Amino acid sequence: MKSYRLAASLGAAFVLTASVSTAALAQAPVCSAPVKVLAQPRDGLTLLEDSKDEFKKLSGASFQIDYLNENDRRAKSRADASTVGNYNVYYVDEANVALFASSGWIVPLADYYPADYDYADFDPGRQKVATYDGKVWFAPLTGGGDLMVYRKDVLEAAGIQPPKTLDELIADVPKLTNADKGIYGIALRGARGSGANVWRWMPFFKAYGGKWFDGDKPAFNSDAAVKATETYLKLFKDSAPGTQTGSWDESTGAFLSGQVAILVESTPLSGMAVDPKTSQVVGKVGFLPPPSPLPGGGYGHGLAIGTKANADDAAKKCAGLFIAWATSKENEKRRLDAHQFGELNRTSVLSSKEFADIYGADLGQALAETGKVTAVNFWQDPRWPDLGDRWGIILEELVTGTRTDIKGGLNELEAYANELVKKK
Amino acid sequence: MRRRSSLPVTFLVPTLAILLVLSMVPTLYAIVIALQNRELSAPGYSWVWFSNFADLFSDRRFLNAVWVSVKWEIVTVVATMVVAIGLGVLMFEVAGPRLRNFYCLLFIIPVLLPRVSAAFVWKFAYHPLYGIATYPYRLITGGLIFDPLSKPGSALFAVASVDVWQWGLFFAVIVLKLLETLPPQPIEAARLDHAKRWQIHAYVTLPMLKAPLISLMFVKMIESLRSFDLIYVMTRGGPGVATETLDMYAFSQGFIESGKVSYASAMAVLMMIATVITFTMLWKRVQA
Repeated sequence: MKSYRLAASLGAAFVLTASVSTAALAQAPVCSAPVKVLAQPRDGLTLLEDSKDEFKKLSGASFQIDYLNENDRRAKSRADASTVGNYNVYYVDEANVALFASSGWIVPLADYYPADYDYADFDPGRQKVATYDGKVWFAPLTGGGDLMVYRKDVLEAAGIQPPKTLDELIADVPKLTNADKGIYGIALRGARGSGANVWRWMPFFKAYGGKWFDGDKPAFNSDAAVKATETYLKLFKDSAPGTQTGSWDESTGAFLSGQVAILVESTPLSGMAVDPKTSQVVGKVGFLPPPSPLPGGGYGHGLAIGTKANADDAAKKCAGLFIAWATSKENEKRRLDAHQFGELNRTSVLSSKEFADIYGADLGQALAETGKVTAVNFWQDPRWPDLGDRWGIILEELVTGTRTDIKGGLNELEAYANELVKKK
Repeated sequence: MRRRSSLPVTFLVPTLAILLVLSMVPTLYAIVIALQNRELSAPGYSWVWFSNFADLFSDRRFLNAVWVSVKWEIVTVVATMVVAIGLGVLMFEVAGPRLRNFYCLLFIIPVLLPRVSAAFVWKFAYHPLYGIATYPYRLITGGLIFDPLSKPGSALFAVASVDVWQWGLFFAVIVLKLLETLPPQPIEAARLDHAKRWQIHAYVTLPMLKAPLISLMFVKMIESLRSFDLIYVMTRGGPGVATETLDMYAFSQGFIESGKVSYASAMAVLMMIATVITFTMLWKRVQA
């Protein structure tokens, strides 16, 4: 009897201890300090800040997002990640993921991304952009390709059909410019940067058959690059004022305020163009894939786990949980409800009935079509931002007229590319 | 025997030691880095000695940045002093005491604005379609577009005008207060001699204020060297490289484009040496 009582007591004690430990484990907060995030302004992230309490409940800590515009975010994150490492989570993009990954500034995401959050649900194109050297490095916040967005009323008034080829686009743009009425044929990006003017120039370069490298030998100094640049500069004559030294904000801003007839830009613009909160041209806009043979510029931005600020495994898990939660289906649904088209990345959301109800069949069709011509136009290498930014400066000089020799600019870039190759 | 007090030493030595550490450590570190080939993306490095400095002199952007920096210094310092003296004298001559106080308050506001805020405000003011600063041009020309920040010939002057707006107006207040401190007798004597107003200032008041005005000019020269934030926000060195000053280019090389921190440090070191030599020579010339 005694032994029975002892066994029963021990058993009860074990069950009690085990249940207390389990409860303690279940409630053990994943995060011990607020997650610090360095990002660029995104509507989706702003919306996320409304749910801070939810993340605190989930992880035990809050989060803080510091915003900088794209170029500044790139510069600051590069400086921070390579030196002090103040941020647990970095906003990275297709252009710098190779640099961040190969420099060891971020860690592979899959190791710390909880399986429940279903990474495989992300759009396959965006997963591809987030992958470098066979590993996934970030969870997408935005991404896609290019669409040609045009003003139906302006084209109709001019008796012009939406251009289907690049030659038609080049011919139509000057005809659509009517500066007296404040309408410009097109809006391009003039501001320096691999993600700015170079990003919009690259589809022309690729359309004319250009390629960046042949093995280790620079191959971009070609007729294709000269022709692409000539075309870009020609189109710039009809680009809206303010875009010569502007980028995405300036060119899309010009379109959304009704000054531009045709714009070939990244897909988030299409969602903004049909949203009365951001657009003055709602109901007047049509969508098509970029005029052939322009390829769309495939891109993706997302959140990655910083190496230095997350010194131990627990910190990395916390950062991973934040990224998973921030890009979760629940939060993506909130972004859909808030009509944040450019912030949608999951196939389950993009193919949902709610999505079709909000954005209509035309846009869905155009997105499906443009997916077929979306390509990676940049040099997928850690040295790309360096090379791309250098070309961005030269291109800005050409656009603003501080230099006129296209071939001289390309020769200069080739010499620089040779230096980069030698350093490898 | 007279005992020397140790009080000055007690107060001076710790302060000087802290100043020495604060100024010398970063300076020496910058010099050391400039002699290496450090890059942000590569943990390893080696000593390249003066190779970075040699490379700078065949770098067209560096040579352009030197020229832009010189232009920037001359334009901002001269324009600030002209505006400051012109407005200071005008207020002294025209405005009564209450109106002067009102103007002083008004003219101090721009310099109290954070540099970055001022840059954003003026960047928008210069917008070719919506900007208030470009509105008169659109009105006069019947809607023609003028985009001062994207034209190589006007971008530097457009940014410099913001610098002058902040500092020229503030210095005007200082010039006015300096004029008010002058003894009235020489001015009255000049008036009795039928000197015109401009002659009184050209030959009496301003020569009397030579020393403080030179000090103001030196302050502005140093301040103009630190205009990175203004240029960065308004043009990022563009269009092309038309407003790319040395500090802008050094930052660009170090953190925006290539992560070449050693190359950027070499520029910073050269800038420091050039500044020290130039200021020493100017100071000696002024004192002579």
